[in-house]
Amino acid sequence: MSASPQAPAIRKILVLALGGEGGGTLTEWLVSAGLDSGWPIQATSIPGVAQRTGATSYYIECLPLVPAPGQTVPPMCLAPLPGDLDLIISSELLESARAIERGLADPRRTVMISSTARAFTVDERGGMADGRLPAQKLISALQEGSARVALFDMGQLAREQGTIVSAVMFGALAGAGVLPLTRAACEKAVAGGAADARAQASLRGFAAGFERAVALLAGAPGAPASDPIEPPRAGQRPEGLAQIRALGMARLVDYQDQAYAERYAARVDALARGEAAPHAASCEAARGLALWMSYEDIIRVADLKSRRSRFEQIRRDYKAGPGEPVIVRDFLKPGVEEIAAILPPRWASRLKDWGRRRQRVSFGEGVQLATSSVTGLLAMRLLASLRWLRPRSSRFIAEQALIERWLSALQCCQRADAGLAAAVAALPRLIKGYGSTHERGQGSFRHILEQLVEPGLASAGSPQAFVDLALRIREAQRVALAQPEGHELFRLLGMSPPAPREQTLHFTPPARRRP
Amino acid sequence: MELSFEKEIGLLKLGAGQVFHGEGILAVTKALLQSGVSYIGGYQGSPVSNLLDVMVQAQHALDELGIHVEACTNESSAAAMLGASIMYPVRGAVTWKSIVGTNVAADALSNLSSPGVIGGVLIVVGEDYGEGASVIQERTHSFAMKSTMVLLDPRPDLPTVVRLTQKAFEISEASNMPCMMSLRIRLCHLRGSFVASDNRAAAVSTRHRLAGPASFNYEKLSHPPVTFLQERRKVEERLPAARRFILEQALNEVLPGEASRLGLIVQGGLSANLIRALQTMGLADAQGDPALPVLILNVVYPLVPEQIKDFCAGKEAVLVLEEGQPEYIEQEVATILHRSGSPCQVHGKDFLKLPGEYSTETLLRGLEPFAQHYAAQLGAAAAGQARAWFGQVQGWRQQAAQVLVQPIPARPPTFCVGCPERPVFSALKLVREQIGATHISTDIGCHAFATFPPFSFGNSILGYGMSMASAAAVAPLSQRRPLAIMGDGGFWHNGLLSGVASNLLNGGDGVLLIMKNGYTSATGTQELISSPDDMLKQVAGARSATDTETTIEDTLKGMGVRWLRTVHTYRVAQMKAALVEAFATPAQGLKVIVAEGECQLERQRRIRPQIAASLSRGERVVRTRFGVDEQVCSGDHACVRLSACPSLTIREARDPLKVDPVAWVTPDCVGCGLCGENAHAATLCPSFFKVEVIQHPGLADRLRDALRRLVLRWFGGRSEPVQVPA
Repeated sequence: MSASPQAPAIRKILVLALGGEGGGTLTEWLVSAGLDSGWPIQATSIPGVAQRTGATSYYIECLPLVPAPGQTVPPMCLAPLPGDLDLIISSELLESARAIERGLADPRRTVMISSTARAFTVDERGGMADGRLPAQKLISALQEGSARVALFDMGQLAREQGTIVSAVMFGALAGAGVLPLTRAACEKAVAGGAADARAQASLRGFAAGFERAVALLAGAPGAPASDPIEPPRAGQRPEGLAQIRALGMARLVDYQDQAYAERYAARVDALARGEAAPHAASCEAARGLALWMSYEDIIRVADLKSRRSRFEQIRRDYKAGPGEPVIVRDFLKPGVEEIAAILPPRWASRLKDWGRRRQRVSFGEGVQLATSSVTGLLAMRLLASLRWLRPRSSRFIAEQALIERWLSALQCCQRADAGLAAAVAALPRLIKGYGSTHERGQGSFRHILEQLVEPGLASAGSPQAFVDLALRIREAQRVALAQPEGHELFRLLGMSPPAPREQTLHFTPPARRRP
Repeated sequence: MELSFEKEIGLLKLGAGQVFHGEGILAVTKALLQSGVSYIGGYQGSPVSNLLDVMVQAQHALDELGIHVEACTNESSAAAMLGASIMYPVRGAVTWKSIVGTNVAADALSNLSSPGVIGGVLIVVGEDYGEGASVIQERTHSFAMKSTMVLLDPRPDLPTVVRLTQKAFEISEASNMPCMMSLRIRLCHLRGSFVASDNRAAAVSTRHRLAGPASFNYEKLSHPPVTFLQERRKVEERLPAARRFILEQALNEVLPGEASRLGLIVQGGLSANLIRALQTMGLADAQGDPALPVLILNVVYPLVPEQIKDFCAGKEAVLVLEEGQPEYIEQEVATILHRSGSPCQVHGKDFLKLPGEYSTETLLRGLEPFAQHYAAQLGAAAAGQARAWFGQVQGWRQQAAQVLVQPIPARPPTFCVGCPERPVFSALKLVREQIGATHISTDIGCHAFATFPPFSFGNSILGYGMSMASAAAVAPLSQRRPLAIMGDGGFWHNGLLSGVASNLLNGGDGVLLIMKNGYTSATGTQELISSPDDMLKQVAGARSATDTETTIEDTLKGMGVRWLRTVHTYRVAQMKAALVEAFATPAQGLKVIVAEGECQLERQRRIRPQIAASLSRGERVVRTRFGVDEQVCSGDHACVRLSACPSLTIREARDPLKVDPVAWVTPDCVGCGLCGENAHAATLCPSFFKVEVIQHPGLADRLRDALRRLVLRWFGGRSEPVQVPA
């Protein structure tokens, strides 16, 4: 071992991407730009099955100088050592935070360039409520864990330039200046000698990424990591009871009529009287109540699906050119339950009896209705015009009864304990979806109301008992939302889960071996 | 095939003095051509698929070399192919993924190794061990030992890998032993450079064929009584010859170091990680020169006792850095030193963890106590430097955990957007809800992604093509019929014999679901005997090309399967009905459902250029994508739980009263239709719609559209519901 203080330092770069995003292409561009500059460079990856949309990574080591003849190049490594990275560049925010979680970045040295785009994991997407990891936490992890941070939506930039995200990433990588690559050398690698439309798009993406990275990293090294990009923004949420009440009323006028909206307003006002400002529980209850009172029946769905604004939105979202016709086909399968819902109670129960006798839950296999066609549109408008039927319908009557029951429980809670009121106010969040999903959600709601809330209110005497009750309600709701198809809620409430619909299964023991 | 190797084929033609820049596995392929091989075979599997794939595509380009290339139906047939080199002076190479492929090949390998070879034989195994591995974690090393084959584990640097590939044939011929070369995943995918030499045409090739068979020689048959003689030759002739060759050709490398009382012995493949670990603790300089001597074993079997004794002479202790368990090298080093009466202490797994990949960090964790123990020779600073490093990294990780509050969820691979296998599992999920769960034996292939959420299917995985066989004893002991899931890849790999034939022979019951997507898709969509040919593909156009290819069905019928249904995978309701019927029918015997749907990767590869061409010619093209009506969606995400398509995700609701995110179809959607099918089959919700944008519309399209717009203007005039000022 010789002491050679001037030994050149190898630069180490980690590229994080999801399968199919072109991480391999990016790596190829980088290697070819490095080779073109005469540098020793090597790159490796773990694609394997990760190419099928899993998380994947590429690791590059490079000595940014042209070795003198006879000069030995120090050995390079095939995998990153925690903390020993000059640059991490990533197309997805969660994957960037994963690198920090694994300790890969040195907060004094590593530059982090990350897209703010999120590709939600199955865990995050699949819950009944909102399972997303808060973006702000992920961003904080990047800021705390790396020396300099540049955050921007790489996917958005790529779409604007008509290319894939790897071109933008390579631009950002070149713009970060961690490797002394010239912009021209990188662009040469991207174009690869081609001048076709695809290469042009890649070059535009490269330029966009390059400029963004340069602008965002302009601060002096060592300066506090600044985040010039706002984190992914939540939708504009209404604030305060008055605003929610106004939104709810507008929604219900649109849904039914002014009288129905006033019924909503009266319910909200009754709640507000039972609670001091800022009306936290009433706000949540008013929000849920507006959605609940505008439950989606066939009439509502037909109405929403046949509006002009809908077709205009679809033309925009699907980038239909001016002269390009757009056909919209809706997947509809009205079940016995849905038809019965808009009939008066007596007819509804007859239809349901018929359905039970015939073991039918739906009519036919479902249809693909071309709502954009003349007949499709007119059929939908016709259905939408049936809203006068709604106040007499079986479901309307049932929903109002359940609403009243919940409201009266909630008012009791308001008198008992603010925390308890907040827990009960949030319960309608359980009632969602259509068909069996709705059935399960409403079932969970009923079980919690009947097994926890109502008996709890009747028996609890001390303030502590109300606090405990609120805790148990929240836990029950959490479990029901996290595992909508599971039986965790039943276990929690000490109930026996429903048996699967039984079907005779024939099974014959194996016959004797053939002679 | 998933990849096109046009550029790579150019690399394979490079001549002497030209510089090759490319992937490790292609460097090995080039080295095979430089070694004058007569034949190449193998079975696909990450990370070595590219070796075979590029050769299949390059056959014509390399026609002058006369190399026979065979895409074998499994590793056993690939290993048996090496039999050509027992009697004939021809060099051959085969490749597969290890450990699984080596297991399948084991019988042929034993029978190959016993008589030995006269033409050099190289088996390139992709060592799927550690990070990113997709198979059980076992060592290939034991196969080399038990069958007496040379095993190379080259230093991860392309010139070394190329040199060793060429030396592999020489050592095989010098010792009559088959030679294996183990390549780790990252080495296969390593992009690096080396200086090429000319390709060599073999003396015997498809262009210069053998005039006649070899003369009869009983000693070349692995059959008693000569197997006893062959076993003696392994020990008395072949191993010594191989050891001589290793020494003469200096296949192993020694790095000198000042602390000569100590030494490190490392597998070649780990040497780069080792140097980085030594640098981190101040025991190697920036150039990678270590402070203590290192013996790099590019040949990990057989070891050369003289070399080990020489290296350890005068040393107080050596540390063996050997990945995986059991620690064969460490044990052998200890035996060699013990027998020679050496006082040198042997360390290894007493400091390093027993199982798992030896990353640089893992090596550091083993080197730290070694340096601490021998601080007198290495200086006290090294261990302290390692500990400081651990503390630092630990601190970063703790800080991240605090900020993040909850651990980052895993992101396992899943079915591609538009994958025809996803609908089958949606149907199966609905079947489970309807009639309850049953035992599911699953298999290797893309369909194994259904073991991950949201499907979480599978009670066992017993290996490639083994699902049916692995349920053989479950069925007779269960009240419910078990289900075996198998891909067409697994079916032809061995499922046909081990599963179907065995079930029929024994008059078994049970349900077999075969995924007929037309290719071995998980390994890179290589062809099968049942892959649709060019004519079928042309006829199919944009549709699935696998519905008219009936080799699997014909085979099953011919074998005597009576209950057989072929269902297109996208017909979710039909698939559900077929499954329920299979579970419930009083009919005895094996019930097979062939789930037909062409691999989306292959289908897209075929139709994308067609669509582009049509568009450029100004022809009518319909672009299809799915969507979710945000106002109708209630944000329950039942659709996600039933499909988990990457393009079906969630986003913030624009409706200010909805706090939970709503479902959303990203622009990545390929319009496969599963969303709509699921909405129908599961009676999910009315939110889903299909959008067809007609590009270059015809006159009829335009007239119809004009009429529609008119009607929409008359009747669809209602404004948006919620427009309240803030």
